Amino acid sequence: MKLRRNNNFLIEPASAATGDIAFNLIVFFLVCASTQPDSGRKQILPRSENQQQKQTEQIQNLEVSLDRNSVSINTEKIPLTDFPSRIKRKLQGKAKPEDRIVVVKSTKDVPYHHWIAITGAIEDGGGIITLQLEEERSIQVP
Amino acid sequence: MKIPRKKFQATVPSVAMGDIAFNLLIFFVILARAQDDSHIKWEPASTPKVEQVKSIGVSVVVDIDSKLYLNGQEIGESQLSAAIEKLLGNAPAGKRSVLLKVHRNTTALRFEPVIEAVSQAGGDLVHILEEKSLQPKK
Repeated sequence: MKLRRNNNFLIEPASAATGDIAFNLIVFFLVCASTQPDSGRKQILPRSENQQQKQTEQIQNLEVSLDRNSVSINTEKIPLTDFPSRIKRKLQGKAKPEDRIVVVKSTKDVPYHHWIAITGAIEDGGGIITLQLEEERSIQVP
Repeated sequence: MKIPRKKFQATVPSVAMGDIAFNLLIFFVILARAQDDSHIKWEPASTPKVEQVKSIGVSVVVDIDSKLYLNGQEIGESQLSAAIEKLLGNAPAGKRSVLLKVHRNTTALRFEPVIEAVSQAGGDLVHILEEKSLQPKK
């Protein structure tokens, strides 16, 4: 009589390390996700509290008005391509920081990418940006 | 004659350990994601020159639908300045950066009050932008 050898061993992979593997994988992906470098541009704006005090001085500063697609310096309309060179020329020779203040006025529909392009050109030309915002006022109608 | 009692080996089953660890980690990952702003949809404006900026504690996002977020949590425009001031605390100059991520087509009506709020809170404004590519976006 032949005796059969029992070869049907249950082969189970070692599961003790699964937790560690999962942990390491997730830490790896988390680190990858959190190290996305941000790139951008710093912008120095005077604190809005001080703006009211300087309002009288601002009258003589350069004023840049922004529309949806156009730009003007002191009410003179300027082609967008000429703006960087024109603002640079206007700011040339102004050594004092208070003389280099440029008041930026925007209409409500100015898109952010247009605003960034113009304010970037002002800063590259040596200007210091100040925003002039329209104040909301509530009026009671009798 | 004494018959020795059979000793049973008590072992902790380790089969489920992987699943438990995995579920715990998923839970913490979701919790962490709720506090950052990576889930918010916005497209950066482009500019010719950009510099690398360190991401520090405070980030303000105006998304594709013009919704406002502070560190990934939706917030009202009127509460923004006070909330940023609270987050910045007594941080010294140079460590008061506020990352501003505004969707490229957002209008001045929406983003200018946000800039004003950051300025009012004494934050150092950092616009997050992408470097201009050769083909302009429409």
